[in-house]
Amino acid sequence: MNRPKGLTTIIMAGGKGERLFPLTRNQAKPAITFGGLYRIIDFTLSNCLHSGIRQIYVLSQYGSFSLDRHLKQAWDIMHPDLGEYIHSMPPQQIMVNRWYRGTADSIYQNLTLLEEERPKQVLILSGDHVYKMNYQEMLDFHLGHQADMTVAAVMVPRREGSSLGILHVDADSQVVNFLEKPAEPPPIPGNPNYCLASMGVYFFRAEVLVEEVIKDAKHTKSSHDFGKDIIPQMVGRKRVFAFNFQEPGGAAPRYWRDIGMLDAYFRAHLDLLGEKPVFDLFDRDWPIRGRPQLTPPSRYTSPSHVLLEDCLIAGGCQIQGNLRRSVLSPRVQVGPGAQVDDAILWERVAIGAGATVRKAIIEDGVKVPPGFAIGVDLKQDAKRFHVTENGIVVVPNNAVLE
Amino acid sequence: MKTILVVDDDEAIRILLQEELTEEGYRVITASNARDALKIVEQEALNLVILDIRMPGMDGLEALPRILGMKEGLPVIFNTAYSQYQESFMSWAADAYVIKSADLSELKNKIKELLT
Repeated sequence: MNRPKGLTTIIMAGGKGERLFPLTRNQAKPAITFGGLYRIIDFTLSNCLHSGIRQIYVLSQYGSFSLDRHLKQAWDIMHPDLGEYIHSMPPQQIMVNRWYRGTADSIYQNLTLLEEERPKQVLILSGDHVYKMNYQEMLDFHLGHQADMTVAAVMVPRREGSSLGILHVDADSQVVNFLEKPAEPPPIPGNPNYCLASMGVYFFRAEVLVEEVIKDAKHTKSSHDFGKDIIPQMVGRKRVFAFNFQEPGGAAPRYWRDIGMLDAYFRAHLDLLGEKPVFDLFDRDWPIRGRPQLTPPSRYTSPSHVLLEDCLIAGGCQIQGNLRRSVLSPRVQVGPGAQVDDAILWERVAIGAGATVRKAIIEDGVKVPPGFAIGVDLKQDAKRFHVTENGIVVVPNNAVLE
Repeated sequence: MKTILVVDDDEAIRILLQEELTEEGYRVITASNARDALKIVEQEALNLVILDIRMPGMDGLEALPRILGMKEGLPVIFNTAYSQYQESFMSWAADAYVIKSADLSELKNKIKELLT
């Protein structure tokens, strides 16, 4: 694949991810385990590889060690002698003496980097989305429309648009208005039931980006965020277009999920399951790269029958109990007679004999004692664990289970 | 009375601007390098900075974001003998870019523009 020329690619990975607490209490959101073998940022990085992009800056801040370690362990595949790299950039405290105040400020603080690279276009991505996208197609659209900025967008039913950032576009896909959580989302021309939600993926003409982040940095009332400040400021003044991320033929939106909340994290895992999953990890045209791990094969040993239904099971697991609709990271153990339903089990979780787990996210290394129940009595669970609005129990790895 | 900080390593320029701008009714403080300038920005209530680019030690392009980091929204004019820095992204954060000249009218006009 041809490498796009004159392009700088920047992944935003510094957010605190408070709505994913407690999973984010000691690591960056993009570094959170997802789909058994992956970290959330792996989906965006895999998209880059499939788009021929092998020069990437990752702007990190909160919990940057977890992210750096993952980039080193899983993504040390670039060839510096060919000009390829993935650089992690926490705030340098050189140009200004502060943390990144927002996504736009993180670009402002790295203007020297753009000065050195002098790109023509800049691609800005987010490290906490799950989707498969060829950025080349979007770049072609961006250049073809001679846009100053192009925002990737997915179609969502209008009644669901009231909680999102909505792009009001004309028939030529030019953005005429940007509305944050509108009561009445404007429909897409020719498609009255749908509106366009911003995906937080942007192409910018480099010089426009520099002008806009400088202007934004001087705005004392700005929250220095692309979605909240930069796009609304640019609409009407600059050429801003929406790139509709849809299936060929335009019938349906393509799969894209923002893993911003625990329930979204849980639901996105269900999308990986089934014979024909909504999001297919077995897609041979679009493999996702995770951290390669040497594990023994998973083994299933039980004197009686073990019921396994619709699961993703990584290597090195030892299964003697029953599993349904669950996603297991490497080296998980499930004891005899245990029943695990709708669960996401991170590395080295051990479920004791006869234990019951339902609708739960269990962090790495947690040992669930024999006969213990999680997700059966939510009132009881809520006394010691985090339970989401939709009744998903989150068991952090510092929890005491007895 | 509005206060202007003039940062330039060339003493002749500092004296010239001090005299001319005082005559225009401004209070003028001068600094001969960027480090001293940053201290003044921190301590003084300024209305505008006139900043040279090519200076020994820290140059004007490096000093600008630090000034803005301390005093958000403080107007800064680059005043330099060279035009090529206009290409630099780093210079775009200044409110104006004026090429040094014996005729100070462009600089004076920019100051007026930014202070009203």
